[in-house]
Amino acid sequence: MKFIDPHIHVTSRTTDDYEAMAKAGVAAIIEPAFWLGQPRTNVGSFQDYFSSLVGFEKFRAAQFGIRHYCTIGLNSKEANNEALAEQVMEIMPLFLAKENVVAVGEIGFDDMTALEEKYLRLQLEMAKEVDLPVLIHTPHRNKKQGTYRSMDIIEEHEIPPHLVVIDHNNEETCEEVLRRGYWAAFTIYPKTKMGNERMVEIVKKYGPERIIVDSSADWGVSDPLAVPKTGNLMLERGVPQEHVELTCYKNALAAYGQSGQFEESDWLTPEPIDQRTLFEGNSVLRGGQAPRVDKPEDDRIIQ
Amino acid sequence: MSYTPVQLLENWILRQASDSGQAWLDTQREAVATGDLKSLYMAFGFAPRKIGKADLQLTERDYNDAAEARPGWMPHTWTIDQAARVLLLMSLPAEDDAAFFVTLEKLFQTAEIREQICLYQSLQLLPHQELFDDRLSEGTRTNVKSIFESIAHHNPLPMELMSEQAWNQMVLKALFIGTALDPIEGLDRRVNPELARMLIDFAHERRAAKRPIPVELWRVAAPFADEIALEDMKALYASGEQLEQSAIALALVSTASDEADDILKTNPEIAKRAESGEITWRDIAQQAY
Repeated sequence: MKFIDPHIHVTSRTTDDYEAMAKAGVAAIIEPAFWLGQPRTNVGSFQDYFSSLVGFEKFRAAQFGIRHYCTIGLNSKEANNEALAEQVMEIMPLFLAKENVVAVGEIGFDDMTALEEKYLRLQLEMAKEVDLPVLIHTPHRNKKQGTYRSMDIIEEHEIPPHLVVIDHNNEETCEEVLRRGYWAAFTIYPKTKMGNERMVEIVKKYGPERIIVDSSADWGVSDPLAVPKTGNLMLERGVPQEHVELTCYKNALAAYGQSGQFEESDWLTPEPIDQRTLFEGNSVLRGGQAPRVDKPEDDRIIQ
Repeated sequence: MSYTPVQLLENWILRQASDSGQAWLDTQREAVATGDLKSLYMAFGFAPRKIGKADLQLTERDYNDAAEARPGWMPHTWTIDQAARVLLLMSLPAEDDAAFFVTLEKLFQTAEIREQICLYQSLQLLPHQELFDDRLSEGTRTNVKSIFESIAHHNPLPMELMSEQAWNQMVLKALFIGTALDPIEGLDRRVNPELARMLIDFAHERRAAKRPIPVELWRVAAPFADEIALEDMKALYASGEQLEQSAIALALVSTASDEADDILKTNPEIAKRAESGEITWRDIAQQAY
């Protein structure tokens, strides 16, 4: 079975993870712009980070057979540095039109401050201007309140719910998110967010419609195989295969496909090798590295 | 009649673009011409969505027109969005060279891979090219082969702008990452003793590691070959694979030294083919990659 991990921060992961993900069936991933664990002190850090999301990381993933997409946004924590936030908003037009950008995000609330709200609203307007879906990060603390408030604001800006993914849901928030017509995403993240046994129960209870499973794997203790592991657990515990396909693949495709930049044909029928671009194999097969060989090698030998 | 690069790009796009794509581009070019940077940044990004990504359908006549409009310009790999993006850049006010430079650098610094390829190919048509010699060298430090090739291949700017040091690094890196030398414009014109020394050292490294030596290397190394390099060539000419023998023959023919002649005599049949033009560097590059 093929999987999409529509929320993973691979920039902080190694190529070993890519190899394992490809082997587990992950065909495409989306990397939402995020914070780095420590606050960025100047706009240059954002610029280089965004550049890596639309450039090098897409290239690196392709070398391991995975299509990489991303979302671009000013995250909620760093919206609290107003001087910096203003500069980030200025450079966002340079990135929103890039080819693998499938949404504005992840944006929303952390502490629910006035500045967080200001930049959430400004970025919602930006998403309308460039006709892209929105990815909403919901806070760890005061989650229910933060989730509801985010949806209220989106409705004030008249963005239809089918264009918005509300992420990091739990048993407390998902009913209202689904009731209001949004895509409800769940993060399978060890210890802090959602475990995959709980996820199986949620799909059994609410059905597969508009539910999306992701890993959010990042620099923390997290699992880049969370989506395939959850999909397989669902099958093991009696969730019908078509429900697994919806929650671990098709719903993400439908939600982010609304950007016009996220199409199944990208990975099912990849474009041929093209020396002008970066498609699969271009560098691996013809560069200074050894070509990928599909037979086991003696891993004691480094050539 | 001769055309300007702008006229050629406009004609090529007109042939292939939809009416709506064409109208979009016209509007964006007008906005950019007023110095509106936000319009430039957005339009530069959105060009493929609005105008498509097809290859430009060019004829021999178009290639000749291009070379006449801008010597060295070879738009053989250009796409329609690339042409549109270059027209947007050419619409940008350029009287203030410092401001022009800053704007272009901003685009370079935030460009994804296809955009970088476009930007490096665009410089040959833009004003103030002389300000971008460091940018070209920076670009060759990439680890993305297609970006490297957008600078090194079918691009007259490295030949025109790069310092000898940067030029030498570019040629060596091309061999190092396994890309062809033949499409480098001015390759034979800018050979120099230091470059030949670097390439001969590289050949020795490869031999020590029991890795093959790229055959095009001899084209650049041979004109300044020292005794050791001649020994290497002699050995390869005697026992190498056919492509290696052909490359060595061609390299030795062009040096026209007594030592080269002595080596060529050891296999007169290949030497004859090299002398008669039956073997060319283009053929060798095509077979090698």
